[in-house]
Formats: sequence, C-alpha cells, structure tokens
Amino acid sequence: MLRFLAVRALGALGVLVALVTAVFVLQTAVPGDPVRASVGLNASDEVVAQERERLGLDKPLPTQYVGYLGQAVQGSFGESLRTGRDVRDDIGAFLPATIELAGFSILLAGAGGLLIGILAVVSSRFAAPARVLFVGGASVPSFLLALILIYVFYFKLSWLPLSGRTNLDSAPEGPTGLLLVDSLLHVRLDVFVDALRHLILPATALALVPAVAIGRVLRSSLIEVYRADYIRTLHAKGLTPRAVLWKHALRNALSAPLTMAGLQLGLLLGGVVIVEAIFAWPGIGLYLNQSIQFGDLRAIAGVTLVVGAGYVFVNTLVDLAQAAADPRIRL
Amino acid sequence: MPVRGVVSLGSGTEAVTRRGQASRIRDIGALERVGLVVLLLLLSTSLVAPWFVVDPVIPVAPPFQAPSLQHVLGTDDVGQDVFSRVIFGLRTSWLSAAAVIASAIVIGGAIGLVAGARGGWVDALLMRLTDTFLALPGPVLAIAVAATLGASLRNTVIGIAVVWWPWYARLVRGEVRALAARPHVDAARLSGVSAPRLVLRHLLPGALPPVIVTASLDIQILVLTLAGLSFIGLGAPPPAPELGAMAARGADYLFASPWIPLAPGCAVFILAVAANLAGDGVRDLFDRS
Repeated sequence: MLRFLAVRALGALGVLVALVTAVFVLQTAVPGDPVRASVGLNASDEVVAQERERLGLDKPLPTQYVGYLGQAVQGSFGESLRTGRDVRDDIGAFLPATIELAGFSILLAGAGGLLIGILAVVSSRFAAPARVLFVGGASVPSFLLALILIYVFYFKLSWLPLSGRTNLDSAPEGPTGLLLVDSLLHVRLDVFVDALRHLILPATALALVPAVAIGRVLRSSLIEVYRADYIRTLHAKGLTPRAVLWKHALRNALSAPLTMAGLQLGLLLGGVVIVEAIFAWPGIGLYLNQSIQFGDLRAIAGVTLVVGAGYVFVNTLVDLAQAAADPRIRL
Repeated sequence: MPVRGVVSLGSGTEAVTRRGQASRIRDIGALERVGLVVLLLLLSTSLVAPWFVVDPVIPVAPPFQAPSLQHVLGTDDVGQDVFSRVIFGLRTSWLSAAAVIASAIVIGGAIGLVAGARGGWVDALLMRLTDTFLALPGPVLAIAVAATLGASLRNTVIGIAVVWWPWYARLVRGEVRALAARPHVDAARLSGVSAPRLVLRHLLPGALPPVIVTASLDIQILVLTLAGLSFIGLGAPPPAPELGAMAARGADYLFASPWIPLAPGCAVFILAVAANLAGDGVRDLFDRS
C-alpha cells in the first residue's frame, strides 16, 4: 500500500510538472505581443520595453521557464494584465464559489447516478425511461438545460432565484468561503436556505450529464455483479433482494462508477465556465470567461493550473480510495 | 458528455477476417437505425440547404418575430432568420467535429502505430506522454489552448484536437500490440516483407474497426464540446452562425423571445442524440459478441 501511495503521488507530481510546462509553452507560443496589447497599441517602444522588463519577459526562454516553474510551485502565477493584481489573489477570491458549486453538483450527480443506475437494474418499469435518459440526458448541452431551467423555474414559476449566490447583504464572510458551511457555522439558517435556493438551478444544469454517465456505468457493473455465483448463493440462503442489493451487490459494483465520477469532474469543471456565466455565479469559471474576453493570458494560465491541479488531486484520491477498499488493485 | 472509454471489440484480427459477415444492417437496433437516418439527413440537408435558405448574416425581417410560416424559427435581435442560422450552424458544428476527429486520428494514430510497432523505450516514452495528457482535465485544457491562441473556429478545433488525440494513440497502440503477436504478422515478417509495408498492410488495417467505432461515438461528445466552447466566445466572431454563440447572444432575450436562444440549443441536442444513436449503431455493426 505504501509503495502504491508513493508511486501514485510521484505520478501525480509528474503530471503537474507537465501541466505547468504545457501552460508555459502555450503562453510563449502565442501569436502577437501580449505586452504591447496590455499597455496599448499607441505606447512608445520604450514603454513596451520597460513593461517587458518589469514582467521579466525580456529574459531568455529557459530562464523564464525556470522562473515560472518556481513561481507556480509557490502558487504565484504573475500579475493579471486585466486586474493588475496577482492572478493568485484573483483566483483565491473566486475559487470558493466554484468549489461550492462543483462540489454540490458532483454530490448531486453521484446521488442521481446512484438512483438511475439502481432503478435501471432492479425495476423493469424503469428500463425504458432509463434508456431514454441514457441517450437523451447525455446529449443535452449544459447551456440549453440552464436556459430551460431558468425559463421554467425562475420566469414561469418564480420558484427559484435567477443568479448570484445570495440576495442577502448580511451574509457571513468566512471562514471557509462556502456559503452553505459558513451560514451553518454562524447559525444563520436564512442565509443557508437562500444559498441553497441559489445553488439548485446551476448545480442541476451541471449535474445532469455526469449523473447519467455515472448511472450508466453503475447499471452495467451492477448487472455484472448480479451474474456472480455468490449473489445466487445469497438469494438461495434466503436474503431479501433489498439486503442483497444494499449489503453485497452495490458495494462491489461501486468501483467503476467512482472512477467515472472522478473523470466526470474534469468535464464538470469545463461546464462550470458556461454555467457560471449564465447564472452570474462569482466563481473562477466566470473569472476565466472574463479573462478570455479580455485576452488575459496569465489569468487563463493560472486558472488552468489551479483547475488542473485540483482535478489531478481528486483523481489521485479516488485511486487511493479504491486501492484502500479493494486489495486487488495494486501496481 | 459521457467520458470516453477505450472501445474493446475483442481482437482486431477477427474483425478484419470476419468483416464479410460482420457488416449487416440487420445487426443494428431499430432506435440506432433511426439515429443513423436522422444523422445522415441532418448532415446532408445542412450541406445542401444553404443554397435554399435565406442569407444567415443579413437582416431579412423585423427583429424579434415569433416563429411563423415565413420564418419557421422566428427572427433574432437584428432580424436575421433563426432557421437559416441554425442550418448553417449545424453544418459548422459537424464539420468542426469531423475536423477534430480527423486530426485526432492522424496524430493519435501515428503515435499509437509507432509506439505499438516499435515497442521498447519508444513505446514507453510515447505512452507516458499520452497518459500525461489523459490525466489532465481535457475541456479545461482545450479552453486554455483555444483562448490563448485567440478566439476563432480554427483555434477552437486545434484546442480540442490537442486533448483528443491521446485516446486514439492508446487505442491504436493496443490494437497494434495485440496484432503484432499474431501468426500472420510473423509469417509476413519471415517472408521478407519490409517494415513500412508490414505496418501499413498487416498492422494498420486491423486497428481500423475500433478506430471507426470510437470516432462515430465521439461525434456526439465533440458536437457538445464545440457548442460549449462557442458559447463562451471561443469560436468564429459574430455574426457567423454558430450554435453555441447564437445561444449565448440570444440568452439576453430568453424571456421575451425564447426561440432565439433555445432553437440553436435544441439543434445541438438533436444532432447530439442522433450522433449518439448512430454511434451505437456503428458499434453494433462491428461488434459480433
């Protein structure tokens, strides 16, 4: 187990270094002159040269690379050309909202996937709807779902708010930055309910596709498990179908859906950029979106690094959790 | 967007030697057949229709007209015909998806072929590189590449292709490794076939069926991914008719004129569903088990 841990951690580290390298190469390979673009096209050559020197962009590429790598290790990604602040501080301000949204979505997707997968196997009446869901649910673009949800639940029914994280000015700030958690820590139930109401629509828009994907994988691995001899033995010794499912079958079928959930997180993080823009959710997706419109390369690179690192971290954790749960998984 | 798995069709050789009996339309389920037909219809109409519909980038009627017989999907905020724009958008959508798949097959196929055929340290190095790409969050990296290169349709296709090839590299490498151990390859080698010919004539054809199946299943995911990137402004600049960008710009009019953002969104959905079913159909066609 210790060896497994070490090798996986080393592998993750290698991937992170590759990520930083890729992002660095990308920034240097960009056509045009970002410095000139940032100081203005009418600026004199001296001003451009000064700005270039200040940003360290006049040094040879290998030096820049080592510098960038060193900075990235310390969590610094340079100064944003748009906000003038360190990209790290910008991301720090926007990150909690995204963690709350993405975390809530992946939980929702996991619960939904569990429900769909189990129903598709144990209920014959649900087989046909499940089929429709598997084909259709995976094909809904997240922006379409978001717009439809807004149209129905905000515009027509007025059940849920349109955008943002909360309407309350007095929402507590800190310590975690996650409104759901902070409101509970401050014992502010009104804020908790308000934050939850704001979360439902964007989280649903993000969760549908991963839920379907997880449900699909769970369904096939459950079917596989139900074919095993020990399940027949359990039935034969008189266990109720419910006990067989919850105590034995489900546990052994969870490995593949768990991996799928980890992989889906990558897609979900891509979807965050779209959904946050639609719901004006103040997270790094919205930040990335604004940076793209402005052409702020350092901000784009910083967000890519943070999101990429988070993704690698979560998937390494998933791997380790599986290795801990299943002794057959070794190198 | 379902995560893509490596398609396994048993060993590639069987698929080749049995190709004669494998390709039967009868093997495809009814729903999948409908999907194939709808997909082909969408592809062909979107190719032909541009000559029959009104110009998608000039105002042809007053803005914000609700769907009517004259303008089936209404008009948008500047009076462009939404139906016409959707048709053009569909064409851009699947042509871009095809472009990504083609580049992914060429790049990934070449890398997989070299890795699988050479083996040894070349294989180890190339596959390590491939795995590294697979360990990163694809959509986010694609966004980063496209955004850094600058918003245009070409750069978006490049950005997605950059994260797409590793799947094909793995797939082709696996098939080639499996094939290389088969007797017919030994026989060819012993009869003095040159190395390039061995690779192209005896290894590559065996790797084709799983590549075709994966490619057809990929169309759905790519259509969705491209629409998503277009939605956040990574695509052709306005007024080019792109489905994602149309929905993004139309979102402002969701309450008063819902057809403006919803029509292009639904077009993406229909194309994706058809591509999904058609992909399953193609898999059934090749899968004998």
